[in-house]
Amino acid sequence: MERPLSPFMFPIWYRFQITSALSILHRLTGIALAVGSILLAWWLVSVAAGGELFAATHAFIASPVGMLLLFGWSIAFFYHLCNGIRHLAWDAGYGFELRQAYRSGYAVLAATAVLTVLTWLYVFLA
Amino acid sequence: MANASSLSNSTVLRDQTVLWRVRQRGRARDGLRKWQLQHVTALALIPLGLYVAATLLWLATSDQTVDDAWLASPVTALLIILFVLAGLVHALVRAASVILDAVSTLAVLKLFLDR
Repeated sequence: MERPLSPFMFPIWYRFQITSALSILHRLTGIALAVGSILLAWWLVSVAAGGELFAATHAFIASPVGMLLLFGWSIAFFYHLCNGIRHLAWDAGYGFELRQAYRSGYAVLAATAVLTVLTWLYVFLA
Repeated sequence: MANASSLSNSTVLRDQTVLWRVRQRGRARDGLRKWQLQHVTALALIPLGLYVAATLLWLATSDQTVDDAWLASPVTALLIILFVLAGLVHALVRAASVILDAVSTLAVLKLFLDR
């Protein structure tokens, strides 16, 4: 089956464009969140169990490594949430014009930054 | 005329065979259901995810007494269970799709159709 194939979209054969970059980022953050859910499950179990297990888990999450993981998780979460809503709008038939697609892409990036910063400001100040 | 007819018959036969092979497998069998599952869980995860993320990031930096009381509440427990269920279904449906995209199409065809 030696049929001509379309070249892989990103990033060698095609000029960089935000639409394809955000699409790939959506998948990567999705995978990251799926892997991160292991930590979430561990944390939930430790909360339910309490005692020493919770103390150890809490110590790990409060450590620099744990906070870094949590920070990465929050960025991935907010990005995947915002871009997921963008995908849902597309699936409902809205926003297909190139201009709209670019605008919504930048809006997703801005919303991710704002939500992440606000969340961590709240965590540290509250 | 006879020639054209036999060509047409064999084409129809081939198309039917291909359709029969494909219809009960892969996306032709469960594609719509997976699409629906993905989108229903996605919609549910918007409010559930916001709730869980807000409380989780807040609680992760608090002490245990707050955590115990938090998960002991039936409303919280129900919301967490719904979040975990929707999240797992969403992740599994999509992970299978990502794997299918990443693995060579020919390898998948060989595995599922070429027996």
